[in-house]
Amino acid sequence: MKYITFILIQTARNFKQAWSSQLMTLLTVSLSVLFFTFFFLIYNNMLQAASRLGDELRLIVYLDEEVQPSLQAGYEKKIRDFSEVEKIIFISPQESFEQLKKQLGNDRDVLDDLDASFLPHSIEIYLKHDLKNLSRIKEFSEYLSTLPSTMKVQYGQGWIERFSYFMNLLRMIVLLSGTLLALTATFMVSYTIRLTLVARQEELEVFRMLGATNSFIKGPVLIEGFLQGFLGSILGLTALYFCYLWIQDHFSGPVFLNLFEFSFLALPQVLVILFTSILLCTGGSLVSIRKYVSI
Amino acid sequence: MELTESTLLLDVVKVSKTYPPDVIALDDISFDIQKGEIVFLTGRSGAGKTTLLKLICCLEKPTRGYIEIGGNDLSKIKPVSIQKLRQHIGVAYQNFRLLPKLTVFQNIAMPLEVCYMDRKNIRTRVHELLDALDIIEKINVRTDKLSRGEQQRVAIARAAANKPSLLLADEPTGNLDSASTSRVMDLFQHLNSEGATIMIATHDESIYKKTRHRIFNLEQGQLQLIQTEAVA
Repeated sequence: MKYITFILIQTARNFKQAWSSQLMTLLTVSLSVLFFTFFFLIYNNMLQAASRLGDELRLIVYLDEEVQPSLQAGYEKKIRDFSEVEKIIFISPQESFEQLKKQLGNDRDVLDDLDASFLPHSIEIYLKHDLKNLSRIKEFSEYLSTLPSTMKVQYGQGWIERFSYFMNLLRMIVLLSGTLLALTATFMVSYTIRLTLVARQEELEVFRMLGATNSFIKGPVLIEGFLQGFLGSILGLTALYFCYLWIQDHFSGPVFLNLFEFSFLALPQVLVILFTSILLCTGGSLVSIRKYVSI
Repeated sequence: MELTESTLLLDVVKVSKTYPPDVIALDDISFDIQKGEIVFLTGRSGAGKTTLLKLICCLEKPTRGYIEIGGNDLSKIKPVSIQKLRQHIGVAYQNFRLLPKLTVFQNIAMPLEVCYMDRKNIRTRVHELLDALDIIEKINVRTDKLSRGEQQRVAIARAAANKPSLLLADEPTGNLDSASTSRVMDLFQHLNSEGATIMIATHDESIYKKTRHRIFNLEQGQLQLIQTEAVA
């Protein structure tokens, strides 16, 4: 208990002696955490949105002739042979026509002079996989186009591809900002502690002459790194939470956020970020200790 | 690191110290000090007194020979044990080695903090020492604001703070008037009566001319016993 008390007193003394550089480091760590977690939050929410959209994803196979009920089982088997699917629905031109009318809503009168027969027979296939596996969807689509009587296979290729590229870009940003966080936390904390150690050389020398042990001298420096990581990530995450509330307030509405539910990071994710930040900053101080403190 | 129960506290055996290129500071000196003794080490400036004290408190290593403190050969103990041993040795340095930005209290508290003494006892001990040396009113003053004499007393208080088994004082009265010198010597006597062994390196004849304790003289790196302990 006495040891802990002394280590904490010494840590507070160190913070007080070099408060300006300590504050700068704290702010840098906070900003890095905020930068990384902001993109991670967006990425996380986009993943959830993709997952929800994936649930509704379907491939439509347009046929040039009707599949007789006796042949439908054969079609289903061929489709399921390639991939597990949620469900398969055979749709007649009449059913497509009714569906189209519903989708047109008040503009349905444009179909008044038309007959349902201009629409082809089709098969709707609901997938079990989500949007993440674009290449798998492409392969499946190519396979479906080889089925007998297939005219065309559609699954919204354009927007799925764009969405996939956007997710890849977001993933890159998250990775880069994560790397930035790691570098900033480690190097900034390491350099700040190195500066304070150099400034305190005389004091450390006197402590050594008085018989200070390794743990007495190194303990407070390690705690400094720990606190930089802890306080920095708490500040960064708090700022992120306020950003999240602001986005909720200003972007929720019928157009944007109604597309998907915008949620904050889950508690385990927050804890992992906190733990990683502490680990990196403590690691940074350990590097400085090894270089600049010797008994 | 514990000191043995033996009555021999310090044993210096055939110790030499040479600084590059070939400056001989100490030349084959040997002596021992029993527990509870007060010993004076005299000699002119540059005679090697400070070097000898540095070797005893492990700040430097001898070129030849060895030194034992409480049965521990300093050349063989690990760095961690040296730190533990230093907690038993109080040193009042000639150049004080005080931290200028810290207060008198903070400077004297350092050796006590190193031993994890609780805050209440630290306060009591620091007050006790400052009372004894008559500078209690300076307790919260930064040491760079003190006179040389006051700084010297703070350095002595810091050396004595931990009630060390061995106290090494390098020119402890060099900047003091006679009243302060007397107070410092009273403090040393008090520590000695509590069991501390004290070695005082000085060229101030006034503090050792009437002493009954052993006096060694260092001259060009050679040690000579010039007074054996008087029998009471």
